[in-house]
Amino acid sequence: MALPGQTTPEGVPAFKLVLVGDGGTGKTTFVKRHLTGEFEKKYEPTIGVEVHPLDFTTNRGKLRFFCWDTAGQEKFGGLRDGYYIHGQCAIIMFDVTSRLTYKNVPTWHRDLCRVCEGIPIVLCGNKVDVKNRQVKPKQVTFHRKKNLQYHEISAKSNYNYEKPFLYLARKLVGDPNLHFVEQVALKPPEVVIDTVQQAQYEQQLQDAANAPLPDEDDDIAE
Amino acid sequence: MASPEEVAKAFQEHYYKTFDQNRAALQPLYQDNAILSFEGQKFQGQAAVIGKLTSLPFQQVRHHISSVDAQPSLSNGLIVFVTGQLLVDGEANPLKFSQVFHLAASGGSFIITNDIFRLNYA
Repeated sequence: MALPGQTTPEGVPAFKLVLVGDGGTGKTTFVKRHLTGEFEKKYEPTIGVEVHPLDFTTNRGKLRFFCWDTAGQEKFGGLRDGYYIHGQCAIIMFDVTSRLTYKNVPTWHRDLCRVCEGIPIVLCGNKVDVKNRQVKPKQVTFHRKKNLQYHEISAKSNYNYEKPFLYLARKLVGDPNLHFVEQVALKPPEVVIDTVQQAQYEQQLQDAANAPLPDEDDDIAE
Repeated sequence: MASPEEVAKAFQEHYYKTFDQNRAALQPLYQDNAILSFEGQKFQGQAAVIGKLTSLPFQQVRHHISSVDAQPSLSNGLIVFVTGQLLVDGEANPLKFSQVFHLAASGGSFIITNDIFRLNYA
C-alpha cells in the first residue's frame, strides 16, 4: 500500500507513514484521533498491521498518509522488515512519563533507518498532559544528533496533533512553506492540557536547542 | 496410557490458561535446563525462560488456539505443535502465532524441555 510515487484513485499523492516506538507509548491512540482515517482503516492480518488513511488538505492540494500501526507485535520483539519496507516517512513515539521508552528511541531509529534510508522522521514525545513527566524537555536531545524533527504531543488532548504531519508533508512535497488549509476532524479531547505549563516546556525546548549537545549517547541516567 | 493427542490437549489448555492469568506460575512447567526461543531470541534455563516470559511488556494477553498436533518423541517424550491467535492489552486485532514444545516424561507427568515461539506475520 502506498508505494513510492503512488496516488489514490482520485489522484491524491499518498505516502506510507511508518509509526514506531515502544508498546504503550500511545501510537494507536494517536492514529485513532483522525476521524476519517479511523472510519476507513483496514486491518491486514497477514502483516499484522492496521492501515489508517489520514487525509490532509494543504494550500497545494490534498495529501494522504497511509499510516501503519501494529497490532502490538513490538511487545514481543523487534518488528519485521515488512513493516518498514517502502516506508516514505516515519514517526518515532515515546512516552514522556516513561524514561525507558525514550531510552529505546535509538534502537527504533536504527531499525527504521536500516530499511528506510534518508526518509523524513519526526520524534514525538507523547502524554505531555500528564502531570508527573519523567523525560524533561532539556533531556530530549536524540533528534538533534540525528537531525530529526521533535514535537511534544498529547494525543488525548489533540495538542500538536497536526505538527508531525505538517513537518512530514513539507519534506515530502519539498515546500517549506506548505500549510494546512482545513481543520482535520479529530475526536473531541479527552483531557485538557495546561497551556501555561506547556508554554514553559516549549520555552525549555527552545533553550535546550541552543545549548551544546551532551557527548555521550546515554541521554538519561537511570 | 493417554494418547499423545490427549496429553497435548490437556497440556495446551493448562499452559495457555496459566500464561493468560499469571505467567510467573508457568515456572514449574519448565525443566531446569529448558530452552526457549522467543521471536528469534534464545533463553536457556528455567530462570532465564521465566524471566523472559514475565518481563514481556503487556498487561493482558488472551490466546485462542486453532490447532494442536502431537507426536511421541524417541525419549518417551512428546512434540506438540500449536497454532492460534492472540490479543494483547486493548488491541482489537489478533496476531497469529505458532509454538512448538518438547515435553519430557517426568515422574508420571511431563515437563517442558524446549519451547519455540513465533508470531506469524510478514
